[in-house]
Amino acid sequence: MISRTTLRRIVAGREAGTALGLFVLCLGLWIATPYFATAANLTNVAEQSAIVGVIAIGMTFVILTGGIDLSVGSLVALAGIVIGSALQRGLPVPVAVVAGVTAGVVAGALNGLMVTRGSLPPFIATLGMMSVARGVALMLSDGRPISGFPDGLRVLATSRVMGVPAPVVLMLGLYLFAYIVLTRTVLGRYMYAIGGNEEATSLAGVDVKLYKTFVYAISGLSAGLCAILLVARLNSAQPIAGIGYELDAIAAVVIGGTSLLGGSGSVIGTLIGALIMSVLRNGLNLLGVSSYLQQVAIGVVIIVAVLIDMGLRRRVHRSTR
Amino acid sequence: MRTPVNLSVAARRLLALMAVVSITACNRGVDSKTKPTVALVVKTLNNQFFIDMEAGAKAAADSLGLELVVQAPEREIDVERQMQIVENLIQRNVKVLLLVPNGSKEIVPAIVKANAAKIPVVVVDTRVDAATLRADGGRVATFIGSDNEDGGRMAGAFLIERTGGTAKVAVLEGVPGHETADARLRGFRRALTGAAGMQVVASQPANMERDQAFNVTQNILQAHPDITALFACNDVMALGALEAIAAAGKARAISVVGFDAQDDARKAITEKRMAATIAQNPREMGRLAVLTAMRLIKGETVPAEQPVAISLVK
Repeated sequence: MISRTTLRRIVAGREAGTALGLFVLCLGLWIATPYFATAANLTNVAEQSAIVGVIAIGMTFVILTGGIDLSVGSLVALAGIVIGSALQRGLPVPVAVVAGVTAGVVAGALNGLMVTRGSLPPFIATLGMMSVARGVALMLSDGRPISGFPDGLRVLATSRVMGVPAPVVLMLGLYLFAYIVLTRTVLGRYMYAIGGNEEATSLAGVDVKLYKTFVYAISGLSAGLCAILLVARLNSAQPIAGIGYELDAIAAVVIGGTSLLGGSGSVIGTLIGALIMSVLRNGLNLLGVSSYLQQVAIGVVIIVAVLIDMGLRRRVHRSTR
Repeated sequence: MRTPVNLSVAARRLLALMAVVSITACNRGVDSKTKPTVALVVKTLNNQFFIDMEAGAKAAADSLGLELVVQAPEREIDVERQMQIVENLIQRNVKVLLLVPNGSKEIVPAIVKANAAKIPVVVVDTRVDAATLRADGGRVATFIGSDNEDGGRMAGAFLIERTGGTAKVAVLEGVPGHETADARLRGFRRALTGAAGMQVVASQPANMERDQAFNVTQNILQAHPDITALFACNDVMALGALEAIAAAGKARAISVVGFDAQDDARKAITEKRMAATIAQNPREMGRLAVLTAMRLIKGETVPAEQPVAISLVK
């Protein structure tokens, strides 16, 4: 039997409410349509969540430190185009993939430097990068998609590990890694500390600028990893790919209970948030709901999730006072 | 005393999500088990062309007693989202998939998945890249659509005739790499190669969107105030260009030709603000697509190509 304290800790946990939300959503869809709760469909949903799920990891890091990264959608396109052009020039798959991810990391680090050394607000720095990276992607590709890649790349989207699609395995692996970093390492402790009170953290002798730059590089890294999945999935690198992904990623983070003010949240919450968005879109497709109403439903879920989270925050605050 | 507080919050979250689910659940409509379901996935539902296609398809589905599900991504350029929609509809066991691809190459993996689920795919309006389809071992039951290249040629021939064979021409391209707009562009350029006096001074993508066409045209007019002809690869862009031309005080000095013959474009032509457009027949495409779906459900064979007529509206 679970002890009372353990039970209390689970219920009071930040992710418990979000997980319950996902559970209820699944339950509702299971009742509403016979096509939802099949192994094939659930695999399908998990696969679809991988794209935004991966970028949302980096976004969680950024938001935890009190920042925001609007450039990730463009970075996905940029990294994708770098991968595509490299493959087109006959470079081997691992080299192309590393080049693409590097482009993401470099652009991300630039974001970080603009924020920390240039003292630009993250919103402005990454808004600028959003446009710059998109422009560079269009320039490199001449505005046209690059298609037709070797199987070595495509297996990343099509292969399965014990029945689980490779993108899902990669996503879960990355989440596990991010979870360990955030909860079990000094680095993770610093992320929360910076988001909670940057000045105090700095006064405590932590090199805040270094860690904040690092966080944006992580976000660029996750955009680069997402680009690999996207290019492999579509068998095509597109300079106009990823438009709006930054908002989907932010939505996943926020639904997952991470505060936009920084200092509190978790990657597990983000994973659940990303799953909620995919499950909702999948369910609305299965039910044949009009495309217009789908957008309304997704917006409502984001708002409701944050409203509840704010309510929870206020109550916890009051009860601990 | 934290536990009871949080439990009540959890309960509220549960209620809120139940509300969302019930909104969607009551949208189930006619029981899909009694009627065979056919899915129509278009590029986007914020373009009149696809709304007309949907109307044609719905009317046909109603008369044939088919259940029709129409879905589309929010943005015309979002291939990945369209792929998700197709994957989700495969899970729904639709009998036939009617598809207007957002990316001629990028959608091929989704078609292969439909093939694997034994769902016949009818491609409408925009062709799938034949080489990519072959390379991936995908199959398409039939293509229903206009000859876009011929439409582009008609638009070019019309502008040559209208301007007397001498003009500086601006072109608004569609989304780079999209087969439909590319074919129109090819046809248009081919028509102009025969006329030495027709000089294309600017050719820029405006991604099939009205606001982008407005901005691009404004910019083109700054660089080339002396253009007298403009071809836009769809009416949405032509209408955006018309606004920019009017704002620059050049209304009627520039002959604008669009593509699709949407209601707004036809109205602009009647009012002599726009020169011409190429009429496709999206309603007929939708109708023919659903009729073809019915034939496929009955196990009949269908021709590999089913052309839908186009014409110049001036």
